[in-house]
Amino acid sequence: MRFLGFLTRRIVGIAAVMVGVSIITFAISHVVPADPVAAALGDHATDQQIEAFRAEYHLDRPLPEQYLTYVTGLARGDLGRSIRTRRPVSDDLFDSFPATIELSLAALLVAIVVGIPAGVWSAISRGRLPDHLVRLLSLIGGSIPVFWLGLIVIGLFYYQLGWLPGGARIDTFVTPPPTRTGLFVIDSLIAGDFEALRSSLLHLVLPALTLGYFSTAVIARMTRSSMLEVLGQDYMRTARAKGLGERLVIGRHALRNALIPTVTILGLTFGSLLSGAVLTETIFSWPGLGRYATAAAIALDFPAVLGVTLLAAIVYPVGNLVVDIAYFWLDPRTQHG
Amino acid sequence: MFKQLRQTSIVIAVAALVAAACGAPTTPGASGSVSPSAGGAASTLVIDRDTSDLISLDPAVLYEFSAVFATHNVYETLVRFEGTDLSTIKPGLATSWDIKDSGTRNDITFKLKSGQKFASGNPVTADDVVYSVQRAIKLNKSPAFLFTDIGGLKAEDVKATDPTTVVMSLPKTASASAFLTILTFTIGGVVDSKEVKSKETGGDSGSAYLLDHSAGSGPFMVDHWTKNSEVLLKANPNYGGTKPTLSGVLFKHVQEPTNQQFALEKGDIDIANNLGPEQIAALQGKSGVTTTTADSLQLVYVGMNATVKPLDNVKVREALRTAVDYDGIVKDLLKGNGKKVQGIIPRGLAGYNEATPFQADVTKAKALLTEAGQTSVTLDFLVPTGQAPGGIAFSDLAAKLKSDWAKIGVTVNIKQTATAELLATYRAQKGQLVMIYWGPDYPDPDANVGPFTDYNAKSIGWRNAWDDPTIAQKGRDAALITDPAKRAAAYKDITDYVLHNGPYVVLYQPSELFGLRSNVKGFNWSSIGWAELASVTK
Amino acid sequence: MASTVALPLRGLRLAARAPILANPLNVVALALIAMFAACALFAPLLAPYDPLLQELGTRLQPPSPQHWLGTDSLGRDIASRILYGARISLIVGVVVVASAGVVGTAIGLVAGYAGGLVDDALMRLTEVFLAFPALILAMAIAGALGPSLTNAIIAIAAVTWAVYARLVRGQILSLRRREFVEAARAMGASRTRIVLRHLLPNALAPLMVQASFDLGSSIIAAAGLSFIGFGAQPPTPEWGVMISEGRNYISTQPWLSLFPGLAILLAVGSFNLLGDGLRDAFDPRLSRSDQNT
Repeated sequence: MRFLGFLTRRIVGIAAVMVGVSIITFAISHVVPADPVAAALGDHATDQQIEAFRAEYHLDRPLPEQYLTYVTGLARGDLGRSIRTRRPVSDDLFDSFPATIELSLAALLVAIVVGIPAGVWSAISRGRLPDHLVRLLSLIGGSIPVFWLGLIVIGLFYYQLGWLPGGARIDTFVTPPPTRTGLFVIDSLIAGDFEALRSSLLHLVLPALTLGYFSTAVIARMTRSSMLEVLGQDYMRTARAKGLGERLVIGRHALRNALIPTVTILGLTFGSLLSGAVLTETIFSWPGLGRYATAAAIALDFPAVLGVTLLAAIVYPVGNLVVDIAYFWLDPRTQHG
Repeated sequence: MFKQLRQTSIVIAVAALVAAACGAPTTPGASGSVSPSAGGAASTLVIDRDTSDLISLDPAVLYEFSAVFATHNVYETLVRFEGTDLSTIKPGLATSWDIKDSGTRNDITFKLKSGQKFASGNPVTADDVVYSVQRAIKLNKSPAFLFTDIGGLKAEDVKATDPTTVVMSLPKTASASAFLTILTFTIGGVVDSKEVKSKETGGDSGSAYLLDHSAGSGPFMVDHWTKNSEVLLKANPNYGGTKPTLSGVLFKHVQEPTNQQFALEKGDIDIANNLGPEQIAALQGKSGVTTTTADSLQLVYVGMNATVKPLDNVKVREALRTAVDYDGIVKDLLKGNGKKVQGIIPRGLAGYNEATPFQADVTKAKALLTEAGQTSVTLDFLVPTGQAPGGIAFSDLAAKLKSDWAKIGVTVNIKQTATAELLATYRAQKGQLVMIYWGPDYPDPDANVGPFTDYNAKSIGWRNAWDDPTIAQKGRDAALITDPAKRAAAYKDITDYVLHNGPYVVLYQPSELFGLRSNVKGFNWSSIGWAELASVTK
Repeated sequence: MASTVALPLRGLRLAARAPILANPLNVVALALIAMFAACALFAPLLAPYDPLLQELGTRLQPPSPQHWLGTDSLGRDIASRILYGARISLIVGVVVVASAGVVGTAIGLVAGYAGGLVDDALMRLTEVFLAFPALILAMAIAGALGPSLTNAIIAIAAVTWAVYARLVRGQILSLRRREFVEAARAMGASRTRIVLRHLLPNALAPLMVQASFDLGSSIIAAAGLSFIGFGAQPPTPEWGVMISEGRNYISTQPWLSLFPGLAILLAVGSFNLLGDGLRDAFDPRLSRSDQNT
């Protein structure tokens, strides 16, 4: 029962946030000093064609009315039509969403798989070389512009060394796996298509490493500092005094507790990955949300901008909700009132 | 042991699957790539190109460069140009045509070649031609004005008098020769009416279907278009002409010119379409690759608002024209990949005027300003973001002009503006100096002269608030002259006048730059905006 | 009573003394920041060339004695452009953090002290802004307002303020019930006085840490926006613009994009380093155990 109440409150909260997001994005899109329609139709369009276009997209109606139309459409799952591609925004989003999800998950995986052990290693060898190394690399990771890193990475690993492909999700002449989730790696596994699996994994490496570097740095630092904190706690001294080996001390006690703050920020990390994906996708020719959003923003295609923003803005609260639900189950304290 | 970690992983995995499930594309195989039937790497031409302008592959709807290029090889037209020659109309689906003066109108009668088939196997008939023209008029999308405004056509003006004869009736105000060039353009593409009619929904004349499918008779057909990703054309087995050696053509959407260059050098693609002059230079001498340039019909220019002081004084406009270092632009910025052209008709079209009287003359420019009573002028300069045709950044070009004009005491405030906003401002006659480019819609000099000189056409002249009824009338008259020599003389007269009196600083005519693998042969770019891919081998 | 007043301020006092400078990393950070600020402030004196001067005859030169970092596609001296770029980045960082900080702090103060519905409403507002992925909102704003450095600053500030609001509110909430506030109240201090004199100084520590990190992240955000065409425009020598201008020359003249990127890395790195140092200095627990680092 408590869970239900908690869930309802959170979902209502998310809905309220989404309304806020939609109002703000709508307002921003319509503050536009210029008319995106002329650009969409091109240089040679006649005035009459422009007027017809505006009417078709309801751009000639007053703002509150446009917003109402939009919101009622939302309830039906209709996100309007993109001014640039002329397709329903929801179709555009469906097409680009999986690519971004795959990239973001891969980057998150890199961050976890590399960041956590690095943070632990750094903490237990505090003050010595590994610690300094990890801290330096983390500092760089948190300070490097991701688009610059991408350019360097492509130039080095694709162009100069030829080790890895430099763009797109899969080799040109490899047929992608049949769509189940839209994530090539998972779909290849499901279909047992190892050529597609290999190709899509190879194509994921460079963009995932580039996008994931920042999050790896964040997670490494977080893990290090919470590990240090835990290692310095009283009960740790007790465990050591009991004569437990250092390995056991770290593994059983320290790590588990040190990971709690790290898990907390995973939701936040995923949200920041979406932001980073915008630039990464542009550089790696990755057909995802980020590239779509950039094109939409340039073209002042506000139904598309609105759609992307709503979709991206829902990830963070939903992600947090999922993590909180997990806590609810995992933490015995909340379960027993 | 690492219970927390495991639980966390489960949470993340669940979240991932939930997110992915919501994100599954609606069309199966939507992220498709080359299907095995296309013959694979050896016989598919892979072209890297920025195709973000693609909206539809329907010939009655499309008007964007990428769509024109792709679709030209999918649909055939009644008449066509052969190779890169834009001066002679040759037979296409029609073996002959015949212009008759019927008193109030001009009637063009086309006789179709017999035995031609669409990719579906259906025969090409006069009804298909009529259907194609009528649906273009009815849909009234971007290219429709070519039929309705320039051609003055209405739906009922096109008839099939028998299965192999089509009659199109044009008003006397329309130029018949210009109309024929319009028919060579993609809007003149003939679609398979039987097949398209069977795919019509909600009165859309089949445009939802033709958006990413094809129903034509050309050497290639559309296999699929994965939005934002790639367009694959595959060879049409029912093509009536010489069958292409290629089994397919793949247009891959890649925006970064550097990525295109890398892919070309590595052999991952065959043609790179968006290289800049610096990349062309970088590719020289590299093994396995070659470069080629071709004329485009575009003109990059600066529009001057003729009602904004002091641009209303023709001497001031002339001063701005005189001060620009055109040679420097072509040599240093474009690295030779462009031509110094200062008239409003590009090279390649009839009426091209070779005169280039302007080249950075600071003394003369200053003198002109003084004569006009101006010593220091300040103007706003609207500049688009991104790359200009010819492969240089608009910003670099603008910076060069700014420094050229600073030398004569003219200060310009560069305002880089997204295209959407720039076009809107320009169309509203609110610009002062606007940098932009123009390409003719069809390969006839009137396609430029009309917009540049006729205020009432509400095109370029209008945007620069330049109302000169005399020259406008001259332009209209010239459009209807049939004798080539007389027409050329008329256009010389017009272009000379605009050169010194118009509100334009024409900067250059860009070249279209291509990087190719050395084994690609037969790729010849026609400046109107396409290449005949049927003749390409690799 | 004196000790209960003094206790919360201990964090600030700790930092005010040796610990900040005792850590060599902090010294490095401050030195780098000082260098960055010096470049920015004294760019006109330090730069050997006019950053906008085009010399088409000497385009794309590699680093040489005449041009320490080479020249770009229009023959402009890259070193000079980087120096002037420091100026722009510094301004961006300072303006963003100042405006976001002021707005966020004000809202956080109001929310924290007023409580109730006002608090709820304002926190909802921050949630809305925090839900946006930063770059996408910034693109939308910059796209709507038009591409320019000013609009990029506005856009970045708009995605940054919410954190300050929550930070301040959180601090206020945890501090307001402490004895020293009750004591001050009992002594007759007005609400404003309590907020300004007692609550705010204690909330300052985490704000300073956040500000340090945000100085760095706003420089990166501005560069990112400029890179895709939404922020500063050419020929402005902003580092993101420079990277963008150099991206087509990567295979043959990599220094065009390399040096501005390194500049960003150094500048942002120094702010991050400082932020780390401040955070460690202000945290009483860590400063006890981390003394040897």
